[in-house]
Amino acid sequence: MRFMMLMIPKGYESAAPGTMPEAKAVEAMMKYNESLQKAGVLLALDGLRPPSEGARVSFAGGKPKVTDGPFAEAKEVLGGYWMIQVKSREEAIEWATRCPAGPNETIEIRQVQELADFPPEVQAVAQKYPEMQPHAGKSN
Amino acid sequence: MKFMVIVKASPESEAGKMPSTELLAAMGKYNEELVKAGIMQDGAGLHPSSRGARVRFAGKNRSVIDGPFAETKELIAGYWIWECKSLAEAIDWLKKCPNPMESDSEIEIRQIFTSEDFGEALTPELREQEDRTRAMAEKNKK
Repeated sequence: MRFMMLMIPKGYESAAPGTMPEAKAVEAMMKYNESLQKAGVLLALDGLRPPSEGARVSFAGGKPKVTDGPFAEAKEVLGGYWMIQVKSREEAIEWATRCPAGPNETIEIRQVQELADFPPEVQAVAQKYPEMQPHAGKSN
Repeated sequence: MKFMVIVKASPESEAGKMPSTELLAAMGKYNEELVKAGIMQDGAGLHPSSRGARVRFAGKNRSVIDGPFAETKELIAGYWIWECKSLAEAIDWLKKCPNPMESDSEIEIRQIFTSEDFGEALTPELREQEDRTRAMAEKNKK
């Protein structure tokens, strides 16, 4: 089963452009990342630059509208993510609890949808686009 | 430049409602264009937050809270990882995206940190460790 671990750092929603994590935090996180990789569970990971450097596209009434960051109403924003492959939800949560995160950080764990999770009609449509399915059929 | 393109949740996605065949076909076509243009590197949909959990960190303490989580606007339903020349190019591509939800929706674009961005804080040893970790994670994907 694949899970995303989503890092939600409180305050990042108002971080100025160019904000960088501190060296000590980076080092502790790298150790954790390496432990995920050594256990064979790590599939992908990335840190995200602050929302003040980002943009949003909204689709209201079918017309796309672009808004530059920062986003005033956002109370929670992503700081980064890990994608892991584990045997159960409990195992994913266990890995998240081992993260050297601080009191201002929350990690949200979300299961990734696999093609096999969807009803047959949906799978039929998706299978028309073979380049899209690098992980198709892996529903363990 | 690498970007995470984040599809925000909606009442339908949180309810686990299946997208229509028309939307799936439109999205399939769009994704195919992204792949052919060399833009799309990865992407996935996430099950609703009712299947998820959150972990809070206070010193050595960890507490686990089961989903669902109330603020739908703050949740994510899926994402892509794109490789683009600039934020402007990413925005141009994103405007071509079919509305991923039945209701009005929102997609956020965030640039991904590279090793170069960290400057001196990322020592040569740490950078090597980072490169190694990523290379081996790629192997886990196969």
